[in-house]
Amino acid sequence: MTTILNETDLSTLTAAKIVDARGAACPGPLLEAKKAMGGISVGDVLELWSSDSQTKNDVAAWAGKVGHEFLGVASTDGYERVFVRRAK
Amino acid sequence: MGDQEKLVIMVTHGPEEPELATIPFAMAGAAVASDVDVVMGFQGDGCLLVKKGVAETVTAPEFAPLGGLLESIVELGGQLLVCSPCVKSRGLSEDDLVEGTEIVAAARFVAEITSATNSLVY
Repeated sequence: MTTILNETDLSTLTAAKIVDARGAACPGPLLEAKKAMGGISVGDVLELWSSDSQTKNDVAAWAGKVGHEFLGVASTDGYERVFVRRAK
Repeated sequence: MGDQEKLVIMVTHGPEEPELATIPFAMAGAAVASDVDVVMGFQGDGCLLVKKGVAETVTAPEFAPLGGLLESIVELGGQLLVCSPCVKSRGLSEDDLVEGTEIVAAARFVAEITSATNSLVY
């Protein structure tokens, strides 16, 4: 499922876990997201930081396949914050 | 075949070709992250990638380092199968290989591939 929130709405989310994958190359950020998702509860939000511009697309595709909810991406200075809600 | 998806990835390039050695690990990493069962099969020089200490030496530009990918793939349940004659011809034994690597013959590869959802050869 994909629910794209704007940056204002994303800024109101409280992530259960933040994963800093800045500097990691493909598919490192995705693997970090996968591992971290197992450590949060269903309904919680994972926030993934990545400096790889393809991570948001990779995570959106991954979330769609495995059944999590891709919430969107917020650009920050030099990296992106990708938000996914654990849905199962 | 059940509903569980399975991907078999055959690896035939060794550490001398870092990009072609790393791409199958990147694909395997994305697959295990996506809850797909992954079997990696190593043949030819590909079997050198599961020799202890070798994966850590391989990094292709713009890809995650191979050693970390291998570690994550195993951690997330990926299986590593290596070709018996390829190992023997390179003077390797089970003790030389990354823990969890299984030495198999051709029929096992055939069984894994024919029971998979799809297979990739690199």
